[in-house]
Amino acid sequence: MSFEMWAEKYRPKSLTQMVDQKDIVERLASFVKSRNVPHCIFAGPPGTGKTTAALCLARDLYGEAYREHLMELNASDERGINVVRETVKTFARVRTLGEIPFKILILDEADNMTGDAQQALRRTMERYTETCRFILIANYSGKIIEPIQSRCAPFRFSYLPRQEQDLYLKHIAETEKITLPNDGLDAIYDICSGDLRKAINSLQAAASLGKPIDSEIVYSVVGRANPADVRAMIKIAMNGSFLEARKKLREMIMKYGVSGNDIVRQIHIELFRLDIPENYKVKLADIVGEVDFHLVEGADEEVQLSALLAKLTEAGYDLKVG
Amino acid sequence: MTAYLKEWLESWENTVPKQKAAFLHGPPGVGKTVTVEALARDLGMELIEKNASDYRTEEKVRRFAGLASQYGSFSGKRRVILFDEMDGIYGTVDRGAIPALTQIIKETRCPIVLIANNFWNKKFAAFRDKKKYFVVEFKKPPGGEVLKHLGRIAAREGINAEEEALKFIAQRNEGDVRSAVNDLQALAQGKNRLTYDDVSWLAYRDRKDVIFTVLRQVLYGRSCNAAKQAIDMADIDLDMLFEWIYENAPHHFNVPSELAEAMKALATADLYRARIRQTGNWKLMRYVIDFMTAGVAMARDKSKPSGWIPFQFPQRIRMLSTSRAERAKKAEIGKKIKRRMHISVAVALKDVLPYLRVIFESNSDMAAGLAGGFDFNEDEINYIAGSKKQGKAILESFA
Repeated sequence: MSFEMWAEKYRPKSLTQMVDQKDIVERLASFVKSRNVPHCIFAGPPGTGKTTAALCLARDLYGEAYREHLMELNASDERGINVVRETVKTFARVRTLGEIPFKILILDEADNMTGDAQQALRRTMERYTETCRFILIANYSGKIIEPIQSRCAPFRFSYLPRQEQDLYLKHIAETEKITLPNDGLDAIYDICSGDLRKAINSLQAAASLGKPIDSEIVYSVVGRANPADVRAMIKIAMNGSFLEARKKLREMIMKYGVSGNDIVRQIHIELFRLDIPENYKVKLADIVGEVDFHLVEGADEEVQLSALLAKLTEAGYDLKVG
Repeated sequence: MTAYLKEWLESWENTVPKQKAAFLHGPPGVGKTVTVEALARDLGMELIEKNASDYRTEEKVRRFAGLASQYGSFSGKRRVILFDEMDGIYGTVDRGAIPALTQIIKETRCPIVLIANNFWNKKFAAFRDKKKYFVVEFKKPPGGEVLKHLGRIAAREGINAEEEALKFIAQRNEGDVRSAVNDLQALAQGKNRLTYDDVSWLAYRDRKDVIFTVLRQVLYGRSCNAAKQAIDMADIDLDMLFEWIYENAPHHFNVPSELAEAMKALATADLYRARIRQTGNWKLMRYVIDFMTAGVAMARDKSKPSGWIPFQFPQRIRMLSTSRAERAKKAEIGKKIKRRMHISVAVALKDVLPYLRVIFESNSDMAAGLAGGFDFNEDEINYIAGSKKQGKAILESFA
């Protein structure tokens, strides 16, 4: 019986186990070898191994007792300046015992830190460099203030290529003794496209049904946000039932907690699969892009996506009327 | 009833009838006073009028009415004495006024007319004797009559008024002709045109359905200003108003291109809200208002959905408020996932919980293992599993 989410269970324990992000892993391994680590920024999309790489680095550096030399903070849960002033400072300034003279502080989702907190962090990083090295993890390094960026070695993570994602999943399937045919892998890649955490979660959820994991199973379990459902929503909108489509959208967001970003991405994928004139696809892609950008600016997910659904309704009507 | 009243007044010409006073009652603005004034003019009688502000005490009533009722006028005209707004006589303050009045009525030599709204108030009990008092009830005129009346006035004043506008005024005043005419005058004076947009803001005075009126004006306003003015009427928070408009707008646009335009306007308004949040620049609020009102209104070309479409309370707000307890529970679950998985609560809820749900719904063994690992309690297990039954199955798998 599994007591863990597979995403945790199969998280690499050492840099040597990481099969992806080769260039990055190599550089990190060289830090371990020289027993010195600079302040780092790990930037890149979710599920690409940023946190894992940081944890592996720490473990390779300190050995099994790495927890004593490490602190993990998540900035989106503790984003205020007080965390930096108190928690971070207290941890950073106390010298560690052992061969390696510094500790490591992993600050996850650092792009969610307030500007004040980042300013405070900058001083702390400088003052306690001797005793503590910082690894800042972020989706977008651009959201981290320039002075911090210039103090850090940058590492850019990217989505896993198809083969590497497949490799991981096949390894897990083998160990867990589940059947994972190729079209199941196709479906998982279609949905997760290189976000390994999501891919493994999808795999585990699909495995919980106790059947071979084919595409049908995959699509049916990946919450309400799987392409079939976004596709259904698009179809409903294009058939003229805007209100019905908005209801579906609302359910996805409010009931199933699907993020607007995921929905936008899937609409974008679905758009180019639709059986509509090519020039419509381009026009609609423009609107999808606009919605995507508005979400980046912090606008309301449902409101923005509704505008897109209304546009789809209009397009559907135009095509019908000709 | 005007005819009866006229007959009664005429009956004073030669004799003193048994019913020495008329008691006119009915809701405000239905023409009680006007009727008396008109009849007096028609019959060539002198009208001596007193209203609530004039007579208060027994002594004053006696002095005024007593004199007036006993002697003919200097001009030789016959008189009619009118006590208007009788509702305004108060028991303790105006002590003795009513007994004084009944006494005078007994002795009067000219007709006395009493007017009140609420005939059934007990202070008027003395006047309910129909042998002594000529009681006339005035009722609200039907809406169509009021509308016709407004139409006649508008025509005479040379105002080109939309029927929708007059109908709105008539309906709003619910049979109160006086206030309907006042509204018409207030709105149309100095103009030669009166449109629906000109009048719809009137509803501001009635708090009751203000939000519906605002919505109507935003969704059907014909000019930017008409739609924008809706904001001033609304006594609700702007974000809440946005929700109302966002919820209801799609029901009121049945042409797809107009629908798309309206939803785009709302998305733009929302975008400016986001920019205000991000920058703290409240000046941008004016654009939020522009797009959520005028932007929506101008999306309409000329279409109008047929039939009556009721306005709905924003469903999103309803969903939010009913799920407050649920959110607290989710946050707790998120914290427990975070502890084991090196992710934030937000990511835990977004990227892990949906999959946990699938597992908990379909595989109680795997769910039991995970529940143990995450240290979920029974309540949380039930929540993730979606039912108590499935939750129980998971708990049994523990054993």
